[in-house]
Order: sequence, then C-alpha cells, then structure tokens
Amino acid sequence: MTDRPSILVPLRVLEGESVPEGVPELLAHAHIVLLGYHVIPEQTAPGQARMQFEDRALERLDDYEAMFEGAGATVERRLVFTHDGQKTIDRMIAEHDCMAVLVPNATGPVEDVLVPVRGAIGVDRLARVVASVFGEMDADVTLYHVADEDTTDDDIQTLLGGMADRLAEFGMDPLRVETRIDRDQDPLDAIADIADSFDTVVMGETDPSLATFVFGMPADQIAERFLGPVFVVQREPAPEDEDE
Amino acid sequence: MTDQPVDVEPGGENVAGEAPAEEPESVTDDAVVHDDVELERTIGLVGGLAIGIGTMIGAGIFVFPGLAAANAGLAATLSFAIGGLIALLVALPTSELATAMPRSGGGYYFISRGMGTAYGAIVGLGLWLGLMFASAFYLVGLGHYASAVFAELNVALPFSPVIGIGLLFGAALTALSIGGTENTAKIQNVVVGVLLVVLTGFLSYGVLDAVGVFGGGTVPEQFFSKGYLPVLTTAALVFTSYLGFAQVATVAGEIKQPGRNLPLAMVGSVLIVTVFYVVTIFVATSAFGADRLGEFGETAMVEVARDFLGLPGAVAILGAGLLATFSSANASILSASRAVYALSRDALLPRKASEVNLRYGTPHVALLSAGGPILVLVATGRVELLAEVASFLHLIMYGLMCIALIVLRRRNPEWYSPSYQVPGYPVVPVVGALASFGLIVFMQPASIGIGIVVMLASYLWYRYYAGDVTLKGDI
Repeated sequence: MTDRPSILVPLRVLEGESVPEGVPELLAHAHIVLLGYHVIPEQTAPGQARMQFEDRALERLDDYEAMFEGAGATVERRLVFTHDGQKTIDRMIAEHDCMAVLVPNATGPVEDVLVPVRGAIGVDRLARVVASVFGEMDADVTLYHVADEDTTDDDIQTLLGGMADRLAEFGMDPLRVETRIDRDQDPLDAIADIADSFDTVVMGETDPSLATFVFGMPADQIAERFLGPVFVVQREPAPEDEDE
Repeated sequence: MTDQPVDVEPGGENVAGEAPAEEPESVTDDAVVHDDVELERTIGLVGGLAIGIGTMIGAGIFVFPGLAAANAGLAATLSFAIGGLIALLVALPTSELATAMPRSGGGYYFISRGMGTAYGAIVGLGLWLGLMFASAFYLVGLGHYASAVFAELNVALPFSPVIGIGLLFGAALTALSIGGTENTAKIQNVVVGVLLVVLTGFLSYGVLDAVGVFGGGTVPEQFFSKGYLPVLTTAALVFTSYLGFAQVATVAGEIKQPGRNLPLAMVGSVLIVTVFYVVTIFVATSAFGADRLGEFGETAMVEVARDFLGLPGAVAILGAGLLATFSSANASILSASRAVYALSRDALLPRKASEVNLRYGTPHVALLSAGGPILVLVATGRVELLAEVASFLHLIMYGLMCIALIVLRRRNPEWYSPSYQVPGYPVVPVVGALASFGLIVFMQPASIGIGIVVMLASYLWYRYYAGDVTLKGDI
C-alpha cells in the first residue's frame, strides 16, 4: 500500500464540536491533520482570543489527538484563531497537502461506502483515498454514477470500470467493489437519497461554477443532507497556485 | 515572504503579577505562528486600503472644509497638502517598521520594541486616548450631518440635536461592536467604494464647473487671503484627517502578505485621500468663496453639492457624510480596543482589559472602556479641540516612529529585517519626525496642554503599574 493520504479533520474546537462517535475508527489507517479552529468576529484580534482561550482549546485537542492515535491513525495537529474559517481550512489543505477533508459525523462500524463518480477528472485521487482509508477494512465500496439520458452503458462502464481498476491497483480487493448506475435524476438528489443506505460517502470536490457560487459546493450540500461522515476529496492543486 | 523569525524577549511583571505574553515563533504570509497555534491573517490589500481610506475619508471631506476655509481661505488646499505630505513622510517609515514587525499594535509595538517600555507606554496609552478623541470628533461630525438631515426635512427642533445624536450613535456603535458582527470588513469595503464613487462624481463635476466648462467660471480668490500663518494652524487642525493610515499598522498582525500589502495599503491610502482632500477644498472654495463657506460650518459640503447639483446633490452628499463619519467612528472605536489588547498583551494594562466575552467573542471590556469616555468627549461638542488632541497624540507617535526607525537602523539588531525599506534614509525619517513634532507647535494651546497631561498621566501609570516590564528587542 502507498503512503497514507493526509485527511484534514476540521473541528470548531471551542464551540462544542467534538470528535463524533466512530470517526477515530473510520480514520484508523489515515494520516490525520487535526485542525482545531475558532472563528472570531472582526472586533477581536486573533491574538486576543488566543491569549484567553488557548489553554482550553489545546486541552481539547490533546483529547481528540489521543482518540485518533488510540485508533491507529498518525496525527498532526494545528490550532488556529481566525476571522475566516474557510480561508483557514483552505490554507491547511494546501500547506499540509491534504488529499481530502472529512466532514465529521457519527457513524457505526463502516460496512458500506458510497463513492459517487461524476467524471474522469480526479478519479485517481478519489481512488487513492478510498483504497487507503477502507482497503484494510471489511467494507464494501459502491461506485455510483448518475447518467445523462444520452450517455451509453458502455461509457459508464468504462468510467466505473476504470475507477475499479484504480482501486485494485492501490491494493483494494476487487470483490468488495460494485457499481451502481441511475439515470435521468438530479445527481445531487439521487446521491442524497441513496446515501441513507450507506455508512459513509467519499466524493470529489467540484470545480467552482455559478451553481456552486449560488448554492455552495455539491459536496457540502450532500454533507448537510447526509447524517454520516463525508470525505471531500480535493482537486489537484493548480500549478500556478502561488499567484494569489 | 519566507518565515520570519521573531527574536524579541519581553520580561518583567506588572503590579498584578502578569508578565507580557511571549512573542510568536515566526510570522508568515498567512499566519502568525506560536508553536502549534496559529493566528490567521485574513485582510488583503483591498481590506487594508479600505481600513486606511475608510477611517480617513470621514473627517477631511465631510467635516473640515467649512472650518478650514474659514481659517485659511483657498490656501486650505495647501493645508491639506501639507498634512498629506507629513502623513506620507510618516507612512513610508511606518511601512518599513511594519514589514519588520508585522504584529498587531501598530506604532505602539514598533516604538516599544525599538525604543523601550517607557516610550512604548506613553505612545500606547496616548494612542488609546487619542483614538477616543478621534472617535468623539467623528461622532460630533456625524451629529452635525444628522442635524442637517432634520434641517433638510424642515423639522425645526427647539434645541440643537448635534450632541444628542452623537451620543446616541456612540452608544449604538459600542453596543453593536460588543454584539460582534461578521462581514464587517466586507461592509467596510463596500462603504468605502460607494464613498469614492459618490465623491469622484461630485468632485469631477465640481472641477469642471470651477474651470468654467458649465457657463461662467468663478473669479479666482486670492490664494493667501488670510495670510500665511493660518495655513499652518489649519494644517495642524485638519491633520486629524490623516490619522487613519496608522490604523492599518494597528491590524498589521492580520494583514496577508504583510511585506507587500502593508506598504501599499498605508502609502496608497494616504496618496488617494490627499488627492481627494485637496480637490474637495478647491471645489468648495471655488463654489462659494472661503468666507461664505466658513459660515456653513461642519456640513458646508452639503451646500456646495446643492449649489452644483440641486437637491439630489445635497441628498447624496448628506448620505455620504453620514456614512463616512459613521464608518470613521466605528473604525476608531475598534482600533482603540485593539490598542488595549496590545497593551494588556504586554502587561502594561491588566489582562482583564482585553478579555474576550465568550458568548459574543468580542473584547467587551476594551470596547466599554473606550465607549464610555468617548461619550463624555462627545458631550463637550468641541469639534476643533477633539480633532487637535487626537492629532497631538498621534503626531507624538508618528515622530517617535520615525526616530525608532533611525534607532533600529543604526543599531541593526539581528531580528530587524524589513522586506520594505524607506527611500531616502535618513532624510525621510528625520524630516518626518521634525515635521510631526513641528506641526504640534501650530495647534491651539488648549490642545497642546491636554495632550501633555495625557502623556504625563501615561508615564506615571507606567511607572506605577509596569515599571518592571521590559519590552525592547535584543539590541
């Protein structure tokens, strides 16, 4: 198996968020970047909040770190005080080369993993995350595609078959991988509906578009509608990422 | 910008037994780093410019033209230009200090690390109080604009509502700040954008009118119609208009890519605002002549706009004036609470003073301790005195910042490695210091007296409370 992929686990550490039940076991085979962050209003300097809340926050991070390490994960942790939570998360993803971000929700032992596959872009990273996190579990993986009316079965099988091949290359037992295809549905609704039958969802980050600007990222929308944990696999960083 | 090590070791304790907070390990383009704790930088160049311009634009454009014209005539344009030049002479050295020490606390931080705790305490406490005077000044200006709204609506009140409205808005702003707001920075950016658009339209029309594009041009007034000395006394008065660029340094710890954005935000905002000020005075004095403009007082710009564009013009400037003075007051109150944080972080004020309310996440003690005195100052209604004391306390800080730069350059400690360097060293910081201190000479004696009392009180507090605290960097 390849090196463990880094999974970012962001927790609003001073606002009651904690590690949901089952999440440490879910990430037993991952390298975790544990991000405790605290968002403060404009009136407060980040250093000001740090001066007052650092000890409390670090105690909680110690506890969470122990939980993950107890389950077998390797953990790297950061505590950040910020005015812009999303910027902090984005920066952590870039700085620590995180392959996915976990939206942590409670789960039982993972037996069924749903992997929506939208297109060929990003399949490699998606496969790597799935194989690394779930390859050593007794979990079944369902590759799921919602097709347009004019897409042929052959095209879909090529896409999903390619994904299954990648999983096998990364060491996953092919017998645990199955495929499922639905047609003529809104992909988001379809994924949200079917997800209820699964323990966790792993899906790719969508490229920004007008729809994502208005409604938010599809992955985030799924995370809001689905009660279990969601892995959002990040896009490959663009080569000119430094032109900020 | 690579990771920049911080090697300044505060020491000692105050009478409450509190020691200064330890310095961060390093600062990067995106965060200030303490071990595994990071403080995110979230303000970009636009945000920095909005802070600088937004704080400055209120007073100069909307409150001072009538007062300045009454004092100096058309030469008030020169007064504003002198203020802008001095601000630039200070903004350049400040940019160097800020890129060497991109931490929150602004001028207080630079002076305390460069010149020692006593100087830092005088400047820090003086800055805090100076910001209160500035906030009160903006609020009284806002009161004048709100009164003008009543006048515009032909509502005759049996008393002057200026002070009452200033007090009301002061209390509202403090309460609003304690409650905490997200996206304040975005609102500020939009406010500044709207103000610049309204002003650009208004001033463009005014310039064209003044040079005779629409019918008869105005008869040029004698430039120094009130003599030479009033030009300098007016420059001392209106210098309050330029205090905003230092607010950028106050939040330096939160600015992204500080090596690039800090100099651009500070110098850029000074240049932009200076142009607006000079053109505004030119347009205003061209429309009415200085004496008549002076009669209009704090809301003279409303009459100028009415003269050019009728009722819509008056309403537009009236709205812009309310928006601008509100924005400036809000920014100054926030900066005052940031100053409290910087001082208590270094144990020069009780740690309790910068305590963050857990429910709202805001520094309620600092905001209230600023809000209360501000209301008292607003109640005096003394626009010119409030403006000048604010200027006095800031000018002391500006002069000392220039001196701190010279001290640090000469001693050249290992940790002092700014990514921006002031052009024309040592002439620029020397002239900046002399100009800052020199401008004080032209203020009213009452303003100078109050300023000196504030400085003495600050020094005595330092000796009593934190005489054992040392903040100077390894030099």
